[in-house]
Amino acid sequence: MINDRGNSVGAMPPAVDIPFRLAWRSSAVRAGAHRSRQGGTGGLFKDHVSLLDNPDPRRIDLRASARDPLEALRVRRFEQNSAITAYALVDVTGSMGVVGHTSKISLAADLVSVLAASARRIGDAFGIIACDSDVHGELFQRATRARAGEVEFAAELRGLTPNRRGVEGLIRASELIAGRRKLVILISDFQMSSQEMEDVFAALSPHDVVPILLRDSAEVEGLPNWGLLALRDVETGRRRLVAMRPSLKTRWCRVDADRRGRLRAIASRHGREPFEITDVIDWDRLATYFAGGGI
Amino acid sequence: MNLAFAHPLFLLALPLALVPLVWLSQRTHDYASLDFMDPDWLSTAVDWGLRALLSLSLLGLVLGLAGLHVRGTSIERVGTGAHIVLLIDRSSSMDQTFAGRQPTGDEMSKSTAARVLLEDFIQKRAHDRFGVAAFSTAPFLVLPITDHKEAVLAAIRAIDRPGLAFTDVGRGLALSLATHEADPAAASRAIVLVSDGAAVIDRKVQELLRQGFSKRRINLYWLYLRTEGSRGIYEEPRQGEEDTPQALPERHLHKFFLTLGAPYRAFEADNPQSVADAIAEIDKLEREPIRYVERVPQTDLAHWAYAIAAVCLAILLLAKLCEVGIARTWKGANV
Repeated sequence: MINDRGNSVGAMPPAVDIPFRLAWRSSAVRAGAHRSRQGGTGGLFKDHVSLLDNPDPRRIDLRASARDPLEALRVRRFEQNSAITAYALVDVTGSMGVVGHTSKISLAADLVSVLAASARRIGDAFGIIACDSDVHGELFQRATRARAGEVEFAAELRGLTPNRRGVEGLIRASELIAGRRKLVILISDFQMSSQEMEDVFAALSPHDVVPILLRDSAEVEGLPNWGLLALRDVETGRRRLVAMRPSLKTRWCRVDADRRGRLRAIASRHGREPFEITDVIDWDRLATYFAGGGI
Repeated sequence: MNLAFAHPLFLLALPLALVPLVWLSQRTHDYASLDFMDPDWLSTAVDWGLRALLSLSLLGLVLGLAGLHVRGTSIERVGTGAHIVLLIDRSSSMDQTFAGRQPTGDEMSKSTAARVLLEDFIQKRAHDRFGVAAFSTAPFLVLPITDHKEAVLAAIRAIDRPGLAFTDVGRGLALSLATHEADPAAASRAIVLVSDGAAVIDRKVQELLRQGFSKRRINLYWLYLRTEGSRGIYEEPRQGEEDTPQALPERHLHKFFLTLGAPYRAFEADNPQSVADAIAEIDKLEREPIRYVERVPQTDLAHWAYAIAAVCLAILLLAKLCEVGIARTWKGANV
């Protein structure tokens, strides 16, 4: 099933599993796959406490008790592995709908379905929010452990014709997901000013933000070297005639590199370097990136 | 400029020329965001240049269709000059040289000398109008008074064709007067009589001429081409000779002209040089201001409008060929 923009609506997401590793500890009560502040039965040794503090005789450590100068009984305590809540915030402003060597909205759909599947497989809750000038009314899924919701969501995302602009939706979404620290995967082409980037990252600062930058090489490196190019900005509708030539193309490449540099600087300040996807998703690199866990 | 249109209805399409100001003639390609790309001066210049060219070509086509032209007018100017009737003797004696022989080698006949010098005279006098009349046994009108220099020159060039029989000055002059009569414009007027002899003028014709010359002021010049040995204008009758028009026609014609009351000058020329001097003298004397009308013909500008449109369209076509797009290689699912 192909919609009018050439996006395949019913494409199946790739069967890839992305392992998350976090640099922070969840405080969720629900058992899961991530390190947490909760003491419990599973995982790593945490510390010794007296039997009176943790009355679980199964965990009495005889060696530690024997070494104790006060001759108290010592009980081992372990870390509880907890679940986390992850949200994917997908930018669906007009610029995401432009098709060149790739379709950014389609890349976002693939990412969302893979990440959702990966998160739910290990028991994490996963929510998806599409944002443009406001939070998208229909493409909105609260964090849930229920599986398969993301398949419809990805299909709907592929069928979407983005036409609005602005970052207000992302900021509104940050209000909706306020609360305990969450993993927030920010999927966008970041066609925004430095100030807008700052605003978005500041609004999401309580969370662990994973910026994923989607790029289409046809928009910069893939431009022709020479010729008259009439362009229409899909977000503003403005038209502009460009006399493309190598010097101008170099300048445009520099503008794009500058923008990415600014994103890198801002994102690094908020905890993680952005992951850049140009045209095709390299799933192995993405898995390595997530396994790195950020700073 | 006096612009006019052959088909003004086409001008209703003129607002079309404004369309390029709001409409980009190139096929546009979607682009994610232009906000971060500073406007480039060359691109802006090319953009507005192409819009202007399109505008101009539409303008040219519309004006071309509407048949733009400059209306023909006539402009009245003031110069110096006169309306002159050249009255030329076409008797056969004019074919002879000043020595009274048939011309041989590079000798000039009287008519040829007169022709060459009169041609110069006509070409020099820019604002004069000329009429040409000739006479022999009978007068004949060659050309009414006109400002068509080419026609006058052609008439003058014909005067050294072999001449006819005799000389009838009186009726020739009457014809010249009639020629002036037929020309209504206000101007100073002159008759230049070129002849190599004279004849007796009939009493009745004399009366007619007197009336004619008294009706309006007409300068009369007599350029007498004197053949060697013939009697001059100013020559007194010799001892024992009769002083009658039959015996001394030149002297009596001169006397008759003096009695006309019109401004009159006689020039006696017995070689080409003195003919030239006489004509130069006439040229000097005829320096009255004259109003003359210069006709400006209608100028068609439609082909210029089409040419401008064609050039603009050619450049636009080149620009069209220079157009490029953004690669769209994405095929759909990229799994």
